[in-house]
Amino acid sequence: MIAAKRRAILHWAAVTTFVGPFLLMLLMFQYVPVVRMVWDSLWDFALLNPDKRTFVGLGNYLDAFDDPDRRQAFAVTFGFAFGVVCLVIPISFFIAIYLNGRLPARAVVRTVVFLPVVTSSVVIATMWVFLLDPTNGLINGAIAMMGFKKLAFLTSKAQALPSIIGMMVWQQTGFATVLFLSGLQGIPRDLEDAARVDGCGWWQRLRHVVMPLLGRTTVFVVVIMTVFSLQAFAPALIMTGGGPEGTTDFIAFDIYQLAFALQQPGLASAISTLFMLVVMGVSLLQMRLMRSEWSY
Amino acid sequence: MKRASVLAGAALVLVVILVVFLGPYAWIVASSFKPQFEIFRDLNPISWATFIPANPTIANFVHLFVNRGVGRALINSAIVSSCQVGGTLLLCAMAAYGLTRIRFRGANFVFGVVLMTFLLPIESLMVPLYMHVANLGLQDTLPGVFIPWIASPFGLFMLRQAFEDLPRELDEAATIDGAGHFRIFWSVVLPNVRTTLATLALVTFLFSWNAFLWPLVVIASPRNQVIQLAIAQSVSIGQLPNWGETFAGATIATVPLIVLFLFLQRYFVRGIALTGVKG
Repeated sequence: MIAAKRRAILHWAAVTTFVGPFLLMLLMFQYVPVVRMVWDSLWDFALLNPDKRTFVGLGNYLDAFDDPDRRQAFAVTFGFAFGVVCLVIPISFFIAIYLNGRLPARAVVRTVVFLPVVTSSVVIATMWVFLLDPTNGLINGAIAMMGFKKLAFLTSKAQALPSIIGMMVWQQTGFATVLFLSGLQGIPRDLEDAARVDGCGWWQRLRHVVMPLLGRTTVFVVVIMTVFSLQAFAPALIMTGGGPEGTTDFIAFDIYQLAFALQQPGLASAISTLFMLVVMGVSLLQMRLMRSEWSY
Repeated sequence: MKRASVLAGAALVLVVILVVFLGPYAWIVASSFKPQFEIFRDLNPISWATFIPANPTIANFVHLFVNRGVGRALINSAIVSSCQVGGTLLLCAMAAYGLTRIRFRGANFVFGVVLMTFLLPIESLMVPLYMHVANLGLQDTLPGVFIPWIASPFGLFMLRQAFEDLPRELDEAATIDGAGHFRIFWSVVLPNVRTTLATLALVTFLFSWNAFLWPLVVIASPRNQVIQLAIAQSVSIGQLPNWGETFAGATIATVPLIVLFLFLQRYFVRGIALTGVKG
């Protein structure tokens, strides 16, 4: 009896020792902030003096929906994510096809395409500020050399967001390529060989054998790229400051500005809560799609 | 004939990829060894001089270290990243051991709670997390930069998988020999998952070294700056940046990672592909 009790105590002592520290830290730094965020979103206060607060209920949420600037931030961020996904998917897919074939210099291509993935978003944003410089940038240098007129890029209302989309595509292509490549390597070789024996050309094999089998991988890549793009922050802070005229005001940057520059953490928390729900929704959709049986 | 056209197409793709992906790096690194007027001069028109400095000078780098405190920022980044890697490995490995090797009621529930955090976008948590960390007195300190992230759900997920794949006969044999949990954890399980530990260490290092938003929020004083903050500051909007110096900073911040990446490419690619699971 006593021995059994002793064993139970030892057992739970071991569980607590091994799992406890992790759980404690996770609760403290992930779950507590989430609860706090939802709670704070119901109040009006300043970061400098958080104890002096007035309860506003859902007021912050109503403000967020009413304010055209906030609506613009959501529109900009989703437009950005949409643009990135539309470009990254085809580009990385074809690079993955290239890498999966028996073509020369595969290792070099894989390494080179992956370089931006290990480079920080700060360095990439910094590089691109200068690449896109209206007068002395490398890209305008190339454009001028080919005899065209230099472009304004980040300083133009119409070109700023597309420029940042281009940068993000450059940054994320390597990651998406690796994901596609592992999907391609999961396709049995004999399937393609069978199609070849039946007289299918390269394009037909790609269109009717490879692409249908990559449905799951594609959904996966689309969702990851969407979630990554929705969280973009550094480009707005480093390259444009959200401008010109709010055309690159990403949600994460908007939240940062509202909370830390404009001292409205209540409103920022309300937007954060909405933003979190949106991103979680996209991720949940991913899990659903990943779990459902795809016809293989 | 057909083979030749395929090869020509492949060569074209290869050249485009090399130019698009290497060109920016080559320009930044080459320009970091040039004074400002040479950077502008060598751009009109673009030639070999754009990408290879004719009279390389290390003045930009010297100025960064002497006047801009980049040395301090590099040391801070190294401290933060190594602590984050060490803390993450220890905490995640212990939790993974507890979840896979000590059978207890509620283990699945605990893992579910951990998996749920996969869905949380860090970007949305910065405001409450900042207030929370400030309450703990950790704002504007180096521990404040890494402590919130060492309980990494991704790390636990990755290690749990590796621990599950390890045959249980190994630790059962050790138990019969009279080894306790700590012995089994340290001398039986850990040595057998070295590759996974190394992969997790690399990915954690990469994330920690490259992190920007959280350090920006939590750090205020220059002496606690990490390298990404130092670079971001040199391009901050509204002031005229010194091109060569900014490029030198970007080069310094990136070269350590690229060297690591070139040597350990396989682990990087595998680890980062796995982070996709987190999304």
